[in-house]
Amino acid sequence: MFSALIYSFLFLSAHVFSIHAQEFFQEQLTLRPHRDGTVLGHFAFTTLLKSATPREPETIRIEDTSQHYTLFPLALGQVLREYAITELHLSLNAGKWSYDRWGYPEEDGVGTGAELWAWMAEGPGASVDERWRGLRSNLAGLFCASLGSMDEQRTTSPSLTFLPEGDLPGPSTPYQLRHGTLPSENVCTENLTPFLKLLPCKSLSGIASLLNPHRLFDADWHGMGIHVRYVENAGVEVRLTFQGVFDPVRYSTDGKRDWSLHSIFDRTIQKTCPVARHSKIRLISTTDAVDVSPAPNTFNAAFSVYDVNTVSKPLDISMQWSNESHFEYPLSLDSPPPTHISVRRTLKGTEQSRGQLAIVIENHQDKQIKASYLETMPWLLQFHLNSIQVKWNSAPRDDLMSIVSYIPPVPHSRPTLLQSVLTLPPNGTMDLTIDVTKPFLRYTEHPPDAQRGWDLPPAVFRPLIIANDSNLRRLPRIYTPILLVDLATPDFSMPYNVIIMSCTLIALIFGSVFNLLTRKFVLTKIPNEPPQ
Amino acid sequence: MDFHYTFSALVAARALLAFAPLPDALKYSQQLSSPLTSYARLKEGVYLFSHGIDPYSGGLFRHSPLLLSAFTTLLPLKDPISKLLWTACDAAAAWSLVKIWRLRQRVGKSSRDGLIAALYLLNPYLFLPSLALSTSSLENTALLVAVAFACERRSSASILLLAILTHLSFSSIIYILPIFLLLTSSPVSNLASPRPFALDFKGLRKAVLPLVGEYFAYTTVLTAASTLVCGGSRAWVEKTWGSFFLLPDLTPNPGLWWYFFTEMFDHFRPFFLMVFSLHLLIYVLPITIKFQHDLLYATFLMAGVSATFKPYPTLSDPGLFLSLWSLFPETYSYLRHPIVTALIHLHGSLLLPLFNHLWLATGTGNANFFYASTLVFGIANGAGLIDAIWAGLATAIPVKDGDWDVGQE
Repeated sequence: MFSALIYSFLFLSAHVFSIHAQEFFQEQLTLRPHRDGTVLGHFAFTTLLKSATPREPETIRIEDTSQHYTLFPLALGQVLREYAITELHLSLNAGKWSYDRWGYPEEDGVGTGAELWAWMAEGPGASVDERWRGLRSNLAGLFCASLGSMDEQRTTSPSLTFLPEGDLPGPSTPYQLRHGTLPSENVCTENLTPFLKLLPCKSLSGIASLLNPHRLFDADWHGMGIHVRYVENAGVEVRLTFQGVFDPVRYSTDGKRDWSLHSIFDRTIQKTCPVARHSKIRLISTTDAVDVSPAPNTFNAAFSVYDVNTVSKPLDISMQWSNESHFEYPLSLDSPPPTHISVRRTLKGTEQSRGQLAIVIENHQDKQIKASYLETMPWLLQFHLNSIQVKWNSAPRDDLMSIVSYIPPVPHSRPTLLQSVLTLPPNGTMDLTIDVTKPFLRYTEHPPDAQRGWDLPPAVFRPLIIANDSNLRRLPRIYTPILLVDLATPDFSMPYNVIIMSCTLIALIFGSVFNLLTRKFVLTKIPNEPPQ
Repeated sequence: MDFHYTFSALVAARALLAFAPLPDALKYSQQLSSPLTSYARLKEGVYLFSHGIDPYSGGLFRHSPLLLSAFTTLLPLKDPISKLLWTACDAAAAWSLVKIWRLRQRVGKSSRDGLIAALYLLNPYLFLPSLALSTSSLENTALLVAVAFACERRSSASILLLAILTHLSFSSIIYILPIFLLLTSSPVSNLASPRPFALDFKGLRKAVLPLVGEYFAYTTVLTAASTLVCGGSRAWVEKTWGSFFLLPDLTPNPGLWWYFFTEMFDHFRPFFLMVFSLHLLIYVLPITIKFQHDLLYATFLMAGVSATFKPYPTLSDPGLFLSLWSLFPETYSYLRHPIVTALIHLHGSLLLPLFNHLWLATGTGNANFFYASTLVFGIANGAGLIDAIWAGLATAIPVKDGDWDVGQE
């Protein structure tokens, strides 16, 4: 009774205020079965603050106008206002996205670990770096993630690859990009709980009720994202996303790939979220013969759509391969491959003082592709740019890589930024190698369990293809898996011993030298040995 | 055999070695090239510079802007050319060593010339870094040529080379005082007959002040040229000279600094950096005063101090000290423990590459192994330095018969 009251109140107030403040909320779940038996689930919760504009950095020292939101997440809205953020993308992922098996993800940002990037307008009051620092610590607090350690040793400005996804207001205002990665950061329930708190219906109703942490964090790959952008003539839009690649074969007892919302999430949709203007489930069609139940509201060749607000509840969508008694894993990868290019990146060499970064890029298209290639490497791995070797189908072709910008790393303070553009002729393989130096760290700079090594951020590729209208079309970003570098460690129990032993040696030599230099030389008579 | 034939044969042998295929173990050895002298880093710096990126904006490149400009304009940094250049520099250094010997003995030529050249060119501590194209070989050449000019009393040439040397390697400033005084005296051996410096304070001031002025003039010109090369930016000062005081790169080397500052508590780091930097300078004045009768010997002892205590040593530094020893045969009979020193050196130089490999390549040893071997190597260099000081001083007190022994009060 009580909850019903609360709900009706919420519904009413939300309804009233959303019209007044022009806030729109919509939710969507995309389900995409893959050939390897897995299912991609992509949740997107979008809140639009109609006609709002990002705060101008000029006003940052002035008391801000008070913010009242009904659907828009207040905790996030305050952070955005406080640091005058125009566009923000935070993703926290776990696992390795396999482009060759799963194709492009629904959300670009699938690099392992945490990734945060923001576009900010320059202006007096507070510098971009100060605001970036504040943003990091606030988001760290908001999402219980260690984003605070994404400091200047991890921050770059790779504006070639990370273009704004929305619009930047003010044609003459200069904007700056800040980008940081933390590959060793993990995503788990402590990050999901604050994430759910930002949703108007939490995880109580609507599509969000499927967000069951026990199943989400059991997925083969999972990641959450917070995307804020400004769209001209629309307003400020916050999109909260969760992606997971679930494996129904693993859950099933008879080795079949049949799945349903209940088998994947261990939940079904019981009721709708009353404030959601749209609440849709999109099921991407497969080429296989499958039975889908219940019947979708609308469907076409590419996908079927369920409108959660109108469809009968409880809703449990299921997909069955009825003529398949047992799922056989495909032994070969898709042909043609699901992405335009495939990238593999490895760190070669056994020594702890040097190595070689090797990147293999395959172009699957029968036309030439250009791709931007970005490395935002911390100073834990230092490139020897002069040693870059580019081979196309094993023949040296240095002309295929052009370096757009390179900022060398500074030990203990700044990472490398290498932005380049690769030209990939049709159908072939590019081998790119760079010699690297592994630095030696102070003993206080090593993390606990130092022998494990350091996670290095993914490289990011962005293919550019020439579309039919001969314009360059930007494809989704492609993240390589992260690397682990094994840096030499000193003996952590030795500080006192080293100080003592080195100082003893120095004192010994110093003392002997000054003894020789200051004392007088004399002749002494050796007493003759008495005869035996 | 005629010296010229010996010398040519030696240089030819070295050139042959230089063009032999070089194993990676030597090319990237941390004993042979430090972060400040590594050829791979020099190549990277030249590459960045020629592509319009300031190499001093990063932390990898710490060579002098002079080398940067030389290798981007005058000499292309191609391996065969570099190999020839490094061999030529070694030959020049060996030639200078022979010249210093001749000037010290006041002879036109001697039977020992070939031996002295061989002791430089065939010293593994010297030719291995040179094969690895470590710029420490160039620094050694600059020093030896500067000393040779100083022995000839050609002050301008000597001071110019000294200015270049200190520009390339800042810790070489410890050579300035003995070489300046050497310019005002003679290289002839006076170890057996010590006497006060020929000039009194006034005369000394009159003789040395112009030299100091000249040195500062050259240094200013070189500094200005370097800043000009870097397009007016002064970032190179911190990245090159600054690294001698701040030790930003903790790559292992055979010296005593790297592990000490790897293991140093952060709040004591500045203090100990200051202590270690000053400690290097402490030896200059006492040794120069004590050996004012033979400043070439004082210069030689400075090489020993530098080999033991400089922040980024390579094997070239102890190698120079050992090869310079060939100039002072009069002290050999006064050495107290040459066998022990030689054995510790052998021990240290075998352990260094072995333990470095065990730690960094095979992973079967840890950092303490290599640290222990650098301590042994430090003891070896220290023992050599102490024995050289003893022998240099004891030469003045010859013992005729077995009934007397030299000691200290």
